[in-house]
Amino acid sequence: MKLKIAVCVALAVLLQTNLRLVWSPLVHLDLPLIVVTYFALRRDVVQALIVGFAAGLATDFFSKGLLGANGFSKTLIAYLIAALVTRVMLDNPLARIPVLAGAVALDAALIVLLHRLLSQPSLVPFAETAAYKMIATTVAGTFIFYMFDIFFSDRARQRRHFAFRRRAARRSLVRR
Amino acid sequence: MAVTRTQKEIRQRAPLWLLALLGVNLVLMSVSARDESGHKRLIQVWAQAVASPVQSLFSGATGAGAGFFQHLGSLNRAATENEDLRRRLADTETELRSAQMARDENERLRGLLDFREKGGYQTVTARVIARDPSEWFDSVMINRGSSSGIEKDMPVVTHEGIVGRIIGVSPVTAQVLLITDERAAAGAVVGQLGASQAMGSVRGYGSNGLLDMRYVSGLEVVKQGDLVVTTGQDSIYPAGLSVGQVVEFKQGSATSPHEIKVKPSARLNSLGEVAVLLYHPPPRTPPPTTTPSNTDRERK
Repeated sequence: MKLKIAVCVALAVLLQTNLRLVWSPLVHLDLPLIVVTYFALRRDVVQALIVGFAAGLATDFFSKGLLGANGFSKTLIAYLIAALVTRVMLDNPLARIPVLAGAVALDAALIVLLHRLLSQPSLVPFAETAAYKMIATTVAGTFIFYMFDIFFSDRARQRRHFAFRRRAARRSLVRR
Repeated sequence: MAVTRTQKEIRQRAPLWLLALLGVNLVLMSVSARDESGHKRLIQVWAQAVASPVQSLFSGATGAGAGFFQHLGSLNRAATENEDLRRRLADTETELRSAQMARDENERLRGLLDFREKGGYQTVTARVIARDPSEWFDSVMINRGSSSGIEKDMPVVTHEGIVGRIIGVSPVTAQVLLITDERAAAGAVVGQLGASQAMGSVRGYGSNGLLDMRYVSGLEVVKQGDLVVTTGQDSIYPAGLSVGQVVEFKQGSATSPHEIKVKPSARLNSLGEVAVLLYHPPPRTPPPTTTPSNTDRERK
């Protein structure tokens, strides 16, 4: 399970560095943030923090911005979502959409604020870029969450675990 | 024997994990922000160097995948008309795709070679293997580094025009800040260098891929369609390299400069191969330390 999560994070970061090469507007899609939000919604706080830290730092390695800015932002967002999900029922797919939109807005605001606080050149235009990012990430994230549910949900894991037993039971019935 | 923790214990430890991870990020940010000499990119460029083989594979696979899906649409339309022809054409299309990619790459490399021969510059040809994953910055990673002679602040071009400059170097990779990034700039002139006085500087302008040319005197004659070239006075780009073409122009006056928007001549959204110019700008002569009147008095 941990290996699957690590592969997911690595794939998200690698795809993110290549989206612009395919079609430049795809840069507004934040795949690492989608992965972080998904694992933060699974009610494992420590796992969410580690995923947020790793995904954010990996993004920073390939970006021109401050090293640690994305790591800080995504770690904090993972903690806030994991804390929220213990108090509010967010298993409904529709309920995840505003959570994802809020995560995108907070991520953009945090990164811009951190750069301003550390006297880096300002990142403009903020409103337009953040709006495009929110739309693209929320729409794509909704579909990606559905795909992740197929691979990572407990029900799917149980189904795979018992699939062998079901096949064996069917074969023994046929022989009789 | 594995230690099992209750949910309550995990939730109690979570704030400690949060503080520790945020602390690490804050330390990295403060080190990254404080170091102005260029060493701040050390961790980043070494991480990029380690990841560059995987990046190269991934960018190749992504490009092939995008091309594959584009062709799949046209193949589906053909498949409804004739199933047999689609099967036979599938093999032919694969060979054709490979040949077209090789031809496009050949044309780009030939353009870079012509540029090198005509310009007389020593160049290192490199391939773009990744773009900045963040929407706030515009940079790319290339697959050549200090082992090929590349140094910081060297200009990067295609045969069509300037692309940007090197901002970080590892032994096998380098990071290039594109000219369309708002933090990039270059000295430029509208028209021919030496013949025109419409000099200014170009820098990135928002996310529409245009450049903003500033400080051009409102008294100079500029019109839409004029070509913009580098002046060589910014200690980065040699003189005479193509920057782009004037696409929007608002007339200035004696007291206010023109407002000029330039479309870059290099196709920055579809960079494949680029050339790094192994160019070192001529050293500037230091200003005189004594005034003429002081030296005359000393002689007397």
